[in-house]
Amino acid sequence: MRFRDVKENINTSIARKQNLSGLSDKPQILSMSSPPQDRERRRAATDWDLLWEKFGIATVLVLVWILAVVGTPRFANLDNLASVLRQSAFVGISAVGMTIAVLAGTFDLSVGSTQALSAWTAVLVASHYGVVPAFIAAVLVGGIVGLLNGSLVVLIRIPAFIATLGTMFLISGLTFILTNGQSARFNGKDFVWWGNGQVGGVPVPFIIFLLCALVGIVVLHRTPFGRYVFAVGSNIRAAHVAGVPIGRTVLFVFLAVGLFTGLGAALLGSRLYSAGPGLEPGFELNVIATVVLGGTRLAGGRGSMLGTIAAAILFATLANILNLNHVDAFVQRVAVGLVLLLALSVEGIRQRLVERWSRRQRPTNPAH
Amino acid sequence: MESKRSWFAWFRFSPVGATLLVVGAVFAVLTPTFLTWNNLLNVCTSASVVAIVGLGMTLAIASGNFDLSVGSTAAFAGCITMSVVPQIGVMPAIALGIATGALVGWVNGLIVTELRVPAFIATLGMLTIVRGAALIYTRGRDIYLFGKTDYKILSTGITPALLALAIAVFFGLLLKQTRFGRHILATGSNLASARRVGVRTSYVLWSVFAIVGATAALSGLILSAQVLTGNGRLATGLELSAIAVVVLGGTPLTGGQASIPGTLFGSLLLAVINNGLNLLNVSVFYQNVTLGLLLLGALTLASGWTSRPGHVVTKDSKVRNKQTG
Repeated sequence: MRFRDVKENINTSIARKQNLSGLSDKPQILSMSSPPQDRERRRAATDWDLLWEKFGIATVLVLVWILAVVGTPRFANLDNLASVLRQSAFVGISAVGMTIAVLAGTFDLSVGSTQALSAWTAVLVASHYGVVPAFIAAVLVGGIVGLLNGSLVVLIRIPAFIATLGTMFLISGLTFILTNGQSARFNGKDFVWWGNGQVGGVPVPFIIFLLCALVGIVVLHRTPFGRYVFAVGSNIRAAHVAGVPIGRTVLFVFLAVGLFTGLGAALLGSRLYSAGPGLEPGFELNVIATVVLGGTRLAGGRGSMLGTIAAAILFATLANILNLNHVDAFVQRVAVGLVLLLALSVEGIRQRLVERWSRRQRPTNPAH
Repeated sequence: MESKRSWFAWFRFSPVGATLLVVGAVFAVLTPTFLTWNNLLNVCTSASVVAIVGLGMTLAIASGNFDLSVGSTAAFAGCITMSVVPQIGVMPAIALGIATGALVGWVNGLIVTELRVPAFIATLGMLTIVRGAALIYTRGRDIYLFGKTDYKILSTGITPALLALAIAVFFGLLLKQTRFGRHILATGSNLASARRVGVRTSYVLWSVFAIVGATAALSGLILSAQVLTGNGRLATGLELSAIAVVVLGGTPLTGGQASIPGTLFGSLLLAVINNGLNLLNVSVFYQNVTLGLLLLGALTLASGWTSRPGHVVTKDSKVRNKQTG
């Protein structure tokens, strides 16, 4: 009985959040300054909003691929496409977990150091005990870090930004101490296959990435936990009032980030034959950038896993195109940053245009 | 009993300051060299680098934003300054470097206010772009300044510490005594309300971001002056240390409040711990672990007193709700 109440409450709150009921969730600035008459027009604007959120980045991806096929002759060959998809998986798997976290209104800065520790563990365990224990160990390490993050945020109530910043330093230091600054190496055939192999022409990491995303989608949209995630991310107080177990939800969110990151790390270790401290500097920011580029709002409660998949592939594609055209690695950084900023300004520019337009309609608006 | 309570009160007043004293005392006992003039000078210099950018970051966090691009800005400004010193002289080069930083910060502000990109993402994008720009500018190589000892003045003796102190006093007065300072805090407490009561929040945010950029540039200049070498990889990860120092100093991430002395103490604490561990011959690897433990420990203690459910709210404890997750 209680669960049904919760479910209904959340449904209404989500509906409100996504503007299906015609109410604006846009910052109070807008709703305070505009009378109810122009709700109709805003709804039209919101539909556009939802469309962009759902399919925007996928459209951009398709456009980029078309441009790439036309402009870069070496892009459209099967080996190259496979390598793009393979590259997208390593950030992507972590981004699946991060999407859940961002949807719940938090995020995790410790994924970079977790990745290094997990990958090192995977390579080390693989060289001694075999492939299955290696993957289990890597995922376990990720899970433990995730639980640590979750406990810090939930039990001790440290803001997620600082808690995960702290564990980031902690884990990266720990990795340096455990590894003594050395990388672990292993090139056993069964282990290396997971990162480098193909099944029917599709790279194994990419298949695992898609499976992870599928798991993420099912969890988010078909389970109570998924509803809780959206509820907590949309409005944590409303969620609390509706009876959502906030603590448990946030704990599981961080656990999920850790588990996915551990899995991705094991694959990366297998891809590179080796892993050690400082594996991929800036990894956490790449993962968050991927999630946000995929249309998931940092404020929480809105976004999609499909966007994350598209964004991960888009970043890999950009890097690939730039490499194929012999663009300097330094220029690549600038290009990637510009793409991120451009993609995210679209929403803001559109908002401004809508506002300017509505201001012209009602010149006596005192708010601006 | 009475003395214990007052000690407690003092600790609550400035947890970082108290911790700093305790940690300093421990190192003074454990190592004979800790309390020598030269060593303290070293500590102050390395603290100042983080403190200066941390002070700018304090303003940014007080205004409800933060800036992830400071490390890249420091590197970019450092490289530009180093490369023009031979042509235009030391002081103009320093001015140019700081102006570059302010410009980068201003662009950050524009992206946040005009394009409405959340500060986290806007400055994340700028982190990548500006780092790339620094690397392109230097073509990935080092820039050396041989024999230009005038430039070295930025990092010798008590100059960095004086700079940090001067900036701290300036920012303290700015926040407490001026209208602009009040506007920063108002913007950080509640952007919509601030705008309603007539604060021109866009100008406030542009200025704050420009100030952060300028302080980041100054930190970058000191870093490059220390070794008289600049390269595009200077100050990697400075953004996270800067934010860590601010938070350690007790400035809440929620905006609207700032603790300038806290930031100073925070950066000193970090520098003292790193220095002490070095003197004790502890591996560099442990320094990150220390920073992590310190952050988590300090925050655990702080939150234990203020935001625990069932905590009895006393008059002087600042209860900050709304910061779950």
